[in-house]
Amino acid sequence: MAKMRWFVVLALLGTATQLVMSRESGLVHGGAQQTRVIGSERLVFVEPLPEAGGEICEPVPASREAGREETLIAALQQRQDARVASLEARNAASQDRSKMKPVRWIHDPYAAFSSVAVDPINNEVVLTDENLFQIMVYNRTADTPRSARLTEPKRIIAGLNTKIEFQCGLYIDPKNGNIYAVNNDTVDTLVIFDRTAKGNAPPTRELHTPHGTFGIAVDEATEEMFLTLQHDSAMVVFRKYAEKDESPLRLLQGDATGLADPHGIALDSKNGWVFISNHGSVSSRTAGADERPSRRNAQKQNWPKGRAEAVPGSGRSLPPSIVVHSMKAQGNASPLRVIQGPKTQFNWPTGVAIDEQRGELYVANDIGNSILVFNVTDSGDAAPKRVIQGPKTNLRNPTGVWVDLKNNEIWAANFMNHSATVYPLSASGDVAPLRIIRSGPLDEPSLGIGNPHPVAYDSKREQILVPN
Amino acid sequence: MAHPQIAAFARLADKNAKPVRKIEGQKTLLGRTMHGFTYDEIHDEFTVPQQFAQAILTFAGGAEGEMPPLRVIQGSRTRLEGPDRVAVDAVNNEIFVPEGDKILVYDRMGNGNVAPKRALEGPDVGRGMDALAIDPVNDLLIVGVGTGPIGDREGGGTRFLIFDRTASGNVKPKMTIRGPLAMGGPFAIYPPKKLIFATNRPVNEVLAGDDSYLGVWSYEKSSSAPPLWTIGGPKGIFQMPRGVALDVKNKSIIASDKRLNSVLTFRVPELF
Repeated sequence: MAKMRWFVVLALLGTATQLVMSRESGLVHGGAQQTRVIGSERLVFVEPLPEAGGEICEPVPASREAGREETLIAALQQRQDARVASLEARNAASQDRSKMKPVRWIHDPYAAFSSVAVDPINNEVVLTDENLFQIMVYNRTADTPRSARLTEPKRIIAGLNTKIEFQCGLYIDPKNGNIYAVNNDTVDTLVIFDRTAKGNAPPTRELHTPHGTFGIAVDEATEEMFLTLQHDSAMVVFRKYAEKDESPLRLLQGDATGLADPHGIALDSKNGWVFISNHGSVSSRTAGADERPSRRNAQKQNWPKGRAEAVPGSGRSLPPSIVVHSMKAQGNASPLRVIQGPKTQFNWPTGVAIDEQRGELYVANDIGNSILVFNVTDSGDAAPKRVIQGPKTNLRNPTGVWVDLKNNEIWAANFMNHSATVYPLSASGDVAPLRIIRSGPLDEPSLGIGNPHPVAYDSKREQILVPN
Repeated sequence: MAHPQIAAFARLADKNAKPVRKIEGQKTLLGRTMHGFTYDEIHDEFTVPQQFAQAILTFAGGAEGEMPPLRVIQGSRTRLEGPDRVAVDAVNNEIFVPEGDKILVYDRMGNGNVAPKRALEGPDVGRGMDALAIDPVNDLLIVGVGTGPIGDREGGGTRFLIFDRTASGNVKPKMTIRGPLAMGGPFAIYPPKKLIFATNRPVNEVLAGDDSYLGVWSYEKSSSAPPLWTIGGPKGIFQMPRGVALDVKNKSIIASDKRLNSVLTFRVPELF
């Protein structure tokens, strides 16, 4: 019985010691850590007492009962101050981590093609790269062999002087090969380069555009340039040779227009029609004059109403569509026709192109991994007349499309596999491309990161979430 | 951006590592550019604003492919104008959306055309509120304010305004903390130590610059002091940093950079 009593006393003593040690470690580390007891009591760690500046408490004789409590409080206070001073000193010494390198860095080292255009005069194909902010020029007939890592472009335009960033739209001037490239998200500037530009060259010409321009098309007969605007669900028309702070000639914006997060744009000059693809997200703008124009745009005519003029609670998520307007449409005009519905197979329809000779509309159908072909006169829930789709096509999230009528070819910019692919104009079904231009090794993962803004950490799955 | 998506990478993903899953496609209702995003680890959901469609979308945590959102806040009663950022208080079941001159608060389970349950707005609150975080531990609402009147009054740059978590109507902030000169994107907080993690980006519409860094500020008390910590800059690896997230378990900070078009992870155990 006596043995048992001793055992209980020892056990209680051990538990008390553990508790004290746990508390101590908690004090030192701000309560964030807990002592983990494995087996019997043992020394967990030793931390030297920090050196404290300031006054030291005078030693007080133990016999002075009245002063014992004050002494204890003073000692604890001194210890607390010292701990804070130690932490501050530690922090002060480690504040500047400006040269710190990341332990991990998620990044795609290869170009992600977002749009494509052909220069048939000079037999070149031009591609915008949204990953590394480049315009890349290749021989039109370049074909990357399966065994090759990639095809080197003839010319690259890239660098801070170029003002290239997140480009989604492209146009080649058929008269001189000059490159019109649309900065989609961050620069609010359309940049135009001479055909032979390369390296970190500043644009030959710049046009300040509304925010969120995406697609571009030019009517050479009237020398008018059409741009779609995602953020404000609008289309603006400029002079082809507009520059700097010139105002648009016309504006198409409003609930009746059918524009809803518009992307690609193409002209049928023969019939006077403009085709615009829409992802479907839109909100209304207030009626009347813009009451809060930005300083930069206050004096401009035909400028779209921005987010400050949005009607609260008017947002809609509509089905994807292609709206067809007159090339002269402006204001809150209704479309001539709308192609929309489940038979269309639209799933984020993005780039569009027109074959005026055959009266056909080509759609880069991003999520469908397909190129859809319609008649330019189609309307409503029309099924495509041809679909290029399947594993042989090498189509992977195509966002750009171009019709080369001189060579009777259709081009696709594949955002998600470092490639541009080319097919005969009559292609249909699961057909292999005539040629492939790759910017990276075959089967190398394509991340699709574009303008990563917020990030989040999924602690359950231990994953990093990256929205574009 | 040609292609909207939410890509999920393994925690240890590095360089050109393939995403383990993606959320994308028409049915997701996503659009670009997504300026706000939050993961709710209690209910295993993530929430993202859709600025073009004036909507707040909440998805299952394990969503993949063309999975539609579980809930959509959208419609005439919502007062949403151009939601850019979002924060979810998973403990108290609320969604916070800054809309410049006001902060709208919804029930976390709100779905459809629902009105906010309260709004923080008025002359004492200020304007330019474009980012926020909820601290359910200390019951605080931390609001990032850009170049509105409050910022101007105190010398420009970003300010963090600290309100009670349940603040409503026209109330003054409890504290003001000077933040980065130009905040790059959404910020993160670490409530146990009352720390704010935010980025500073170059100003004057440049595409990249040396004045880029990830900074750490305390929200223990009002302060005009410089950041306690600067990481990855100035004159460091960042060129145009944006958003920040914390991996507390692994004592890491995750940040995005627009010009690098990258996501970078820094391990800084001393901060946790």
